[in-house]
Amino acid sequence: MISCTINGKKRSFDIDPTKRLREMLLMNGNFAVRDSDDAEGFCGSDTVLLDGTPVFSNLVLAGEAEGCEIITPDSLGDSMHLTVVQQALIDAGVVQSAYNAPAAALLMTWLFSQNPDPSREEVKDVLSGIFIRDAGYEHYYLAAELIKEKLATGEYKTEIAPEFRPELKAVGKVMPKIDAPQLVSGERAFVEDYVDDDTCYMVVLRSPYAHAYVNKVDTSKAEALPGVIKVITAYNCSDATYMSAGQGNPEPSPHDRKLLNKKVRHVGDRVAAIVAETLEEAIKARDLIEVEYEPLEAVFTVEEAMAEGAPLVHNGKVQYNAGAPDDLDEYNSKLSGDEREGKVVYQFPLHGDILHNVAAANHGGIGDVDKAFEEADAVVEATYQTSQIQHTPLETHICFSKLENGRLIIYASTQVPYHVRRIVSWVTGLSENKIHVIKTRVGGGYGSKQDILVEDLTAYATFVTGRPVLYHNTREEEFIANSTRHPMRVHVKMGGKKDGSITGIYMKVDANTGPYGNHALTVPMNSCSKTLPLFKCDNMKYDLTIYYTNTPPAGAYQGYGTPKGTYGLMMAMCELADKLGIDYKDMVLKNHVEEGYMLEILKGLGEGREGNVVPVGSCGLREAVEKGCEMIEWGKREESGDPDWKIGKGFAMIMQGSGLPGLDHANAVAKLEMDGSIIVLSGAADIGTGLDTIIAKVTSDILCIPVDKITVISGDTDSGAFDTGSYASSGTFFSGNAAVVAATNLKNKILDEAAYQLGEELDDMEITWPGEVHSKKTGKVLSFYEIIHTSTSGTGRGHLIAPGSFTTAASSVPYGAHFAQVAVNVKTGEVKVQKFYAVQDAGTPINPEAALCQMYGASLKSIGHTLYEDMILDKDGRCVNANMTDYGVPMISEQPDDFKAVLIDVNDPDGPFGAKSISEIACNGAAPAIGNAIHDACGVWMRSWPMTPEKILRELGKIK
Amino acid sequence: MYDIKALYEAESVQDAIRLLQEHPEAQILAGGSDVLVQIREGRRAGVELVSIYMLDELRGVSIDEEENIRIGSLTSFSHITKDPIIQKYINVLGEAVDMVGGPQIRAIGTIGGNTCNGVTSADSASTLMAWDAIIELTGPEGVRRVPIKDFYIKAKVVDIRPAEIQTAILIPKESYDRCFGHYIKYSMRNALDIATTGCSVNVRLSDDKKTFERVRIGYGVAAPIPCRAYTAEAFLNGKEINDENIKKFAETVLEDINPRDSWRAGKALRQHISVVMAERALRESIRLAGGVVNE
Repeated sequence: MISCTINGKKRSFDIDPTKRLREMLLMNGNFAVRDSDDAEGFCGSDTVLLDGTPVFSNLVLAGEAEGCEIITPDSLGDSMHLTVVQQALIDAGVVQSAYNAPAAALLMTWLFSQNPDPSREEVKDVLSGIFIRDAGYEHYYLAAELIKEKLATGEYKTEIAPEFRPELKAVGKVMPKIDAPQLVSGERAFVEDYVDDDTCYMVVLRSPYAHAYVNKVDTSKAEALPGVIKVITAYNCSDATYMSAGQGNPEPSPHDRKLLNKKVRHVGDRVAAIVAETLEEAIKARDLIEVEYEPLEAVFTVEEAMAEGAPLVHNGKVQYNAGAPDDLDEYNSKLSGDEREGKVVYQFPLHGDILHNVAAANHGGIGDVDKAFEEADAVVEATYQTSQIQHTPLETHICFSKLENGRLIIYASTQVPYHVRRIVSWVTGLSENKIHVIKTRVGGGYGSKQDILVEDLTAYATFVTGRPVLYHNTREEEFIANSTRHPMRVHVKMGGKKDGSITGIYMKVDANTGPYGNHALTVPMNSCSKTLPLFKCDNMKYDLTIYYTNTPPAGAYQGYGTPKGTYGLMMAMCELADKLGIDYKDMVLKNHVEEGYMLEILKGLGEGREGNVVPVGSCGLREAVEKGCEMIEWGKREESGDPDWKIGKGFAMIMQGSGLPGLDHANAVAKLEMDGSIIVLSGAADIGTGLDTIIAKVTSDILCIPVDKITVISGDTDSGAFDTGSYASSGTFFSGNAAVVAATNLKNKILDEAAYQLGEELDDMEITWPGEVHSKKTGKVLSFYEIIHTSTSGTGRGHLIAPGSFTTAASSVPYGAHFAQVAVNVKTGEVKVQKFYAVQDAGTPINPEAALCQMYGASLKSIGHTLYEDMILDKDGRCVNANMTDYGVPMISEQPDDFKAVLIDVNDPDGPFGAKSISEIACNGAAPAIGNAIHDACGVWMRSWPMTPEKILRELGKIK
Repeated sequence: MYDIKALYEAESVQDAIRLLQEHPEAQILAGGSDVLVQIREGRRAGVELVSIYMLDELRGVSIDEEENIRIGSLTSFSHITKDPIIQKYINVLGEAVDMVGGPQIRAIGTIGGNTCNGVTSADSASTLMAWDAIIELTGPEGVRRVPIKDFYIKAKVVDIRPAEIQTAILIPKESYDRCFGHYIKYSMRNALDIATTGCSVNVRLSDDKKTFERVRIGYGVAAPIPCRAYTAEAFLNGKEINDENIKKFAETVLEDINPRDSWRAGKALRQHISVVMAERALRESIRLAGGVVNE
């Protein structure tokens, strides 16, 4: 027996003392003590106070807690009774995906218990042991200020964020994110919090080979183990061919995988799934499976994949569901056709050529680039290489599924509930009405949860065993068996004249999609489609080729392909300005697009179809560039006072989209409840960004009713209506606009009903705060309560419910510019990002404080991609740094000293209340801004990620 | 989930020794920040553990009767950083261990664990090497003291005999008296990162502050175990403080160190950085000692 005090209550546990303290706390119901790193002691999700000191509860044995006093994050305050610290974290906007928010609240509480007036350094020190991927750390400093002020004077003094649209009450105002109290207090929120007691565990046997046939899987010993329920292999499972990308149907990604394949294509590929009563039994059984592999030669880079005679990653056969070429039979005759290979099925042609490891391709352009280069006064040409990067959400991929009422219920941490439902339907053969996907709160997505990476197998396991099944990726699996950023080789040729005008741009992009083609075309496509339209240039050409290889898989990642294209183009433009001897800023101002400029280049850049040629819409690009240049004092040379440290400045223009016009689709249903409050059923998938809050806020301003009288139910395929999901920066624009349509429709119904009840004309009715209809003619007033009460009486006209659907051809593009000032040590190669300014036009920022945090979070993440993060593979394709410590994410100590996010006020005509997207674009600027600043500092061009000290010293000629 | 066969809780040093004699395969568990991570990685699967974490007698910093600074092996990193004796005599050690992890690790990680794991990248290692620390081990035969340079045998192997535990780390007065030092951790980032190379230098200057009386330089990750650059030290001892000597000293470290290529960093980078760090750490040590570099 172990006795200790937990949150002031004496407790005794009959537990093996060699278990971790965290396991004991879970037994006690303290589930907000979470695990993000398999007890590596990195992320801090498992932080508790042990005798008054913060410790990782995974690194303390239960036996060592004997007689100790333990405080857990869920002890601070519940969602109805928040503490000053919890409330300040919410108000500062940092409670986003929030997997670590309770632990952060505990650390901040501990800090203030030691010292009511901590310095910035002390805040930094206390947060140095907690990993925050979503919001960055800047507003934690703000929260600390707010806490200090509140404790000292009872109120906040510091401005949290600028506010917009004074005529509106909710939109554009600083206001707590509606799910934040639940998240910060550590209440039930994530998939792991909803698991039933009789749940089985599933683990996956993964390939040790990068490329091999799986000729035989002997599961007899494993199945003989007590507790083992089922071992699923390629030889006893569904034969459906599909892919993992959560994209609109039909997808612009080849269907090229099954649940389990008879050929493994990367180290970590699925070989078998083991379902057992306990995790321990499942792991034990996994070790007893005997697999007969037939290893094959592998390819890891685009260079290897494109080489003559390269081993083929897919060598089965090709099918088309539409647009098959006439010579398909002849083409297929050149492939091995081996049954173990499976097949590659294109929904429509993506110019793939698997005989040459090409998953997809696209070529196009406008004007005549060759002529443009001839006419140029200078031409630069260089290749920019990006690395393989993992999303590292704090909550690794997880799925819980069970049968209930004859249906398959799936608790998913996903960006795409409806796509999950469709793919599970394909795999199980169940019709979609038999499948219920419940998106819980999501502990970090960043694109990785746009892929259906675990839900297919988990749901299938429940389908075949009839048992509730939990699957949860280990951190290592999150690296090697998930999706990652596509490594890309971006070759840019750019010509310009002495007056700074760009005559022509050519981009040749060779992308590495890994073993499967999820997002194969569209991610690399974004490297052109979300970059070339920044330029007023008549001659542009691109050649995109996407290769299959045997690396860990690539997929969607915040920014999609755009950060890579932006890196290449903005670096090349800086190189061109340098060669022409003109100022980079002048060149930017000379060539950037402005409102009304017709974007002919978009014609060839649809998602596998013809793109929409549209003019540039609302555009705060120039203002962003000028504002940022002013802030960073562009053109002024800075000296460090130490001859080894050289200082330089750089910046990059950025853009993204706001969803995919003509492809994305969102729906909502607004209901007037019996007391006059509102429930909105939305198809949206809020992944921590504040999308539910956006839906509540737009509804509030349309229906003139306070936000706390509105509840948003979203991400649930039963209660909502279809929504393509949270990706491609579509949330605010599509799901937000669908809520606008639904709320407007409900408003019209309410007005109509009020007119009916008052016996007056509809035209005389108007909605007024707080939730009333007022007759302009008679002055009579009916509250929403009165209206719905009458309409739902036995003689009324019924419940007031309004659907809203949103599709569009409009393309509302967010713009911006990111600025960096770096110090480079020319002796050690170290780079310090001294200043980083993210200046963005996001249209109307509906949640301004959350918007700023997303800009900080995405900027810090992309600073990490630029300087540190890199998945390193050995010669056999094994990732050697598949853990948090070795991989290299930035934390609070990597934050720029002077970090600012600035919102440019632009009102977009098509966005909900003028809003455009905000977060994804903020991943695009860091690499070229920092790369250009490094050149400005010490004269070297950093043409590959990450820009490490070693590479810088090599470029400087200091080491070989 | 940890694969641990058994956990024995020691109630005293003698009790710990007894437990280790009874369970010769057992591993000592102090704060746990290293050992438990290793067990998780499967490197010590099925291990028996003897926990000494409750032995408060092994915590704290004091000056003993021989005027050694005595650091109990279970003293945590955060304790060392805040300890007034450390701050007064060997502040560089407090700075070095403050670079380990975040507050959760610094509260629980111990100086004893940081040396007993035999890891060359340990943040305390190069400083303890550079200050000629003495490792005190207590075992069935009693207490023995081992100079730290002999304590490290090879990568991840240290001189601990069966049933012995490390009970203290001593810094003799001769070692700390009038000495001033500086530690530089060179890593790819600050966030909970492992040192690419660590360099710790300390100096004792002549009374007129013009001459190096004694210079010591220790490295982590410049060889499989923490090491000293004795050739460079020998060159500088007794020499005048000037630019030329400092530069020559820094270049000479290459004769003693032996870094290797790894995916974290190449040998060329580590060599280059070792030289740069030697010079920087030396200059800062001179400054702390009140010396001035003659141009």
